[in-house]
Amino acid sequence: MPYLGSAETVKELKRALSNPNVQSDRLRYRSVIVRVIRFMTQGLDMAPLFMEMVKASATVDIVQKKLVYLYMCSYAPLKPDLALLAINTLLKDCADPNPMVRGLALRNMCNLRVPGVSEYAQQPILSGLRDKASYVRRAAVLGCAKMHSLQPDAEIDGAVVNELYGLLRDQDPVVMVNCLRALEEILKKEGGVVINKPIAHHLLNRMKDLDVWGQSEVLTFLLRYRPRCHSELFDILNLLDSFLESGHSGVVAATTRLFLSLGAALPAVQSGVLERARGPLLAACTAQSRELRFVALCHVQQVLRSLPGHFGAHYKKFFCSYSEPSYIKFRKMEILVELVNDENVGMLLEELRGYCTDVSPELAQAAIFAIGRVGQTYSEKCLSILTGLLELKQEQITSAVVQTFRDQVWLRPQCSESVCAAIVGCEEHIQDSEGKQALVWLLGVHGEQIPGAPYVLEEFIDSLKTEQSPAVKLELLTATVRLFLSRPAETQDVLGRLLTFCIEEECDMSVRDRALFCYRLLQCGVEEARRVLGGPKSDPSLGLIAGRPEEPINSWAGDFNTLAPVYSRGDWAALTATTGGSPSLLPQVTGGAAQADPGSVEDAEAVDSAAAAAHSPPDPGEELCLVSGPPLSPELFERRWLALEPSRRVSLGWPGGDCLPETLQAALQLVNIQALALSRLHARPWKAYLYAHCLGTVLLAELLRDPDADGLQVTVKQDPEREEALSSFLTVLKTVIQTLGNSSASLASHD
Amino acid sequence: MIGGLFIYNHKGEVLISRVYRDDIGNRRNAVDAFRVNVIHARQQVRSPVTNIARTSFFHVKRSNIWLAAVTKQNVNAAMVFEFLYKMCDVMTAYFGKISEENIKNNFVLIYELLDEILDFGYPQNSETGALKTFITQQGIKSQHQTKEEQSQITSQVTGQIGWRREGIKYRRNELFLDVLESVNLLMSPQGQVLSAHVSGRVVMKSYLSGMPECKFGMNDKIVIDKQGKGTADETSKSDLGGSSGKQSIAIDDCTFHQCVRLSKFDSERSISFIPPDGEYELMRYRTTKDIILPFRVIPLVREVGRTKLEVKVVIKSNFKPSLLAQKIEVRIPTPLNTSGVQVICMKGKAKYKASENAIVWKIKRMAGMKESQISAEIELLPTNDKKKWARPPISMNFEVPFAPSGLKVRYLKVFEPKLNYSDHDVIKWVRYIGRSGIYETRC
Repeated sequence: MPYLGSAETVKELKRALSNPNVQSDRLRYRSVIVRVIRFMTQGLDMAPLFMEMVKASATVDIVQKKLVYLYMCSYAPLKPDLALLAINTLLKDCADPNPMVRGLALRNMCNLRVPGVSEYAQQPILSGLRDKASYVRRAAVLGCAKMHSLQPDAEIDGAVVNELYGLLRDQDPVVMVNCLRALEEILKKEGGVVINKPIAHHLLNRMKDLDVWGQSEVLTFLLRYRPRCHSELFDILNLLDSFLESGHSGVVAATTRLFLSLGAALPAVQSGVLERARGPLLAACTAQSRELRFVALCHVQQVLRSLPGHFGAHYKKFFCSYSEPSYIKFRKMEILVELVNDENVGMLLEELRGYCTDVSPELAQAAIFAIGRVGQTYSEKCLSILTGLLELKQEQITSAVVQTFRDQVWLRPQCSESVCAAIVGCEEHIQDSEGKQALVWLLGVHGEQIPGAPYVLEEFIDSLKTEQSPAVKLELLTATVRLFLSRPAETQDVLGRLLTFCIEEECDMSVRDRALFCYRLLQCGVEEARRVLGGPKSDPSLGLIAGRPEEPINSWAGDFNTLAPVYSRGDWAALTATTGGSPSLLPQVTGGAAQADPGSVEDAEAVDSAAAAAHSPPDPGEELCLVSGPPLSPELFERRWLALEPSRRVSLGWPGGDCLPETLQAALQLVNIQALALSRLHARPWKAYLYAHCLGTVLLAELLRDPDADGLQVTVKQDPEREEALSSFLTVLKTVIQTLGNSSASLASHD
Repeated sequence: MIGGLFIYNHKGEVLISRVYRDDIGNRRNAVDAFRVNVIHARQQVRSPVTNIARTSFFHVKRSNIWLAAVTKQNVNAAMVFEFLYKMCDVMTAYFGKISEENIKNNFVLIYELLDEILDFGYPQNSETGALKTFITQQGIKSQHQTKEEQSQITSQVTGQIGWRREGIKYRRNELFLDVLESVNLLMSPQGQVLSAHVSGRVVMKSYLSGMPECKFGMNDKIVIDKQGKGTADETSKSDLGGSSGKQSIAIDDCTFHQCVRLSKFDSERSISFIPPDGEYELMRYRTTKDIILPFRVIPLVREVGRTKLEVKVVIKSNFKPSLLAQKIEVRIPTPLNTSGVQVICMKGKAKYKASENAIVWKIKRMAGMKESQISAEIELLPTNDKKKWARPPISMNFEVPFAPSGLKVRYLKVFEPKLNYSDHDVIKWVRYIGRSGIYETRC
């Protein structure tokens, strides 16, 4: 918090820093610097002191050095020219006999984030890579990555890359992992660090030496490796098996993910892996810390998407403890619902009923909805519990129960009788609009079974003036007309009043329109109105309420142990869609899964990853601009195609194997390239016609796969001509094709 | 990888901020976004991972302090949390409790730690013992670093054994071994165990000279759930030696300090290691079977009319009569509309604490196989609120001088071939402490 008089403070500190008396007293000098850092943390602008602080870095005192370095790294981007002054000191320190000083200097030099620093840092980094102290080597390796991130466009230095690959054999495990991390960042454009057989085996053998962070990361890198044969695959599984029992849930999850990906084509292996991982996952669910418990629960939910009964026998582990935070309780309830089976249903419902009276109204409601979902299979038991809850006469509970009733009746018409008996008298305890809507709906649809229905509706209609929610009013209109059709004598008067009010006094247009609609409908005659309004009272095929079907394991295996399970699905979709970016390792990984078996189960994933890869531009600064423009009719396309001259002919490497046209089309669509026509799967020659809009021009393209020629011939035409549009179109197209396939595409121009 | 790490106080003021990568954008924005969206948010925390403007904030709260790790990448969530805990552990090891005052007083040290633990957002070195070499605590002389100290650093940074330095000497070779367990229970009103587990730690303090090799043995019988785990591991019955079978315990899962040779554990189930110097956690384990529940709580709640509640709670201690449990505290929740409480207890002191909505019953000591009871009459104010009282569970705290999991240390041997002291010369201390974790009985 910058406070008044900060200019004064800066001046005073400046005086102190340049006071020779202070400078000569090490402790005093240091304490002034500590004050500078303290103000910096509090948000005061300490940039004016840069000169003095740089001078302070020329000291033998390590504590002081560290402090000054911290200051410099924070302010260097603001004062790039002055930062270079500090480099001399840093360079000198890089040659210090003390490895700690060397490492410290190297690390901070690379942290400076000033454009000019890379020329100075190059030499120290190179010698740091060969330093005899691993502390220095660690800093040097990451220094390479830092230099690259400073100038992402600079050409990649092959010598450094080779050196880093060589350092994978370093005896210090952290150096090795740092090498992987650095290579991954440096080679990002080329798809990251290459994990071939010797490297993969080397990494596997070193796993035991690594710390948990290293293990978890190496396991993620190994996702990229495809074993050549089954025996190698099983060797890997055996070798890594012990990591499933690691006490760090991150390592457990990373191992599970790797195993699932290795077994992508072998369902038996996958289910075996999940069987094996059940214990560790359960252990993580009862971990000491709540955040880890939460993460583990999210992963359990992922597993349940494919194997609903997987944790059925262990349902007690998911009972909520009173003191747990609500985010855990919500997750646990969702899981409990999935685990229901004939044996545990009694205990489970009993437990859920306990949550219905929770202090937090949201939790209580969630518990009631959970009971409702169990009720889709075990209807009687749930109904009696829910009816019992009505006796508590609490607002939120009653409202949630009535909403659950509505869904129940819709899915299971046979329980309508008991529901109708139960909801009598509920109207007094419902305040929120969702509950009211549900109650009114029930009264309308099943009014003939509820003796007091017209009078309940009358109460609602009488208090219409104070009703806020238009949704309730809409529901009220429909319900009253419905009830009128089944019990005209009792409802006529109320209906009249309702319609008058809604037509003459209502301001909300949708309500007014609905009222007018009802009025006209009734004018057409009772039979007509009955035909329109009296649809089926139940339709179990409405799958939305009933929940979702099982999904194949591979649909989520790629996301396991990333952020995807932690965020809700909606959030995650929004997150990845708007960034358009591919979350780090994901595309390569899933793309890798697709290459193993192109055109089969992984198609959907391949599409996603292709789109994601194409979406992530090589340089975040450079915006790709393919947009979804107006659709082009085939005739129009043909006319334009014939009229235009080809702007560019390119040959792209075609992935081995065939790619389903649907897959390709879907992938292209995600990046806003429309496919107009595609040949069948095995047609020779195979052709596809595509078009896209970009920067105000239309791009037309023909893909041709000739049996005689190698690769894929791409002809692009453009109207009007724009070079940037053309190149970005080709980049996107190339990425899609590459991601769908596996061979490295060679882009050779034939202008 | 982690883009940045922030520490806030409960008001949302930043105490520490360290940015490792540029991709999390403007430091100010990230810092403020978290304050506005999480710390100052009206509703309770929805998830420990919050996504604000496509940036993920992983946060944990320790007493009044928030620690948040920020990243733009799609990372492994469990790992980030593990890292934050590790960070807390390291800080605790350096300056004790994580509180606002401690953080403010030690902020230079914290910056130093953050600098060593993470580089460019990647965890580098998180072992407290090994870190000590790199951290220049306040007032340490560094320019006069002797040759010896320098060589220590070199051996430390290059050597294979990262957790112990060469040339340690003690006049008295001593070993302290603590088995610390926390027992967790959730029991139904009818006395049925809904869930119970023990999470335990074996903490050692070693003051040994040279590079000793230690071997640790306990009464472990790892019964591998054949169905749950694919490979058939031999149970280690042979390890039990002469002791009878019923004294062995089944450990569900365990992890070791990095010094333990895992390969040996896998093949022979023996725990052998070169210990770090000073205090460290040798192993961590969890058991769920055959747990000795030190206390049983029997609640009886009767509603007498609308304005009165009668509560009777009996606690029974269930362990050897010669042992003494300490610091027993039973917390009986009372409804929000309580107007007065009369308590009668046979032992200890009981008090109604209106601010906590609970009757707190404290007993200093209690021997095994005893039973004690408390009865209370709770007067209620008549209210219009029809909300039924949710009846939170009765929770309990205690400390007992044995391990509720049944774990016993069988031996701890020390071998140091180079120096002339033998296993017998080492003074060893063993202590068992069982504490309550979440120990709840529903009523």
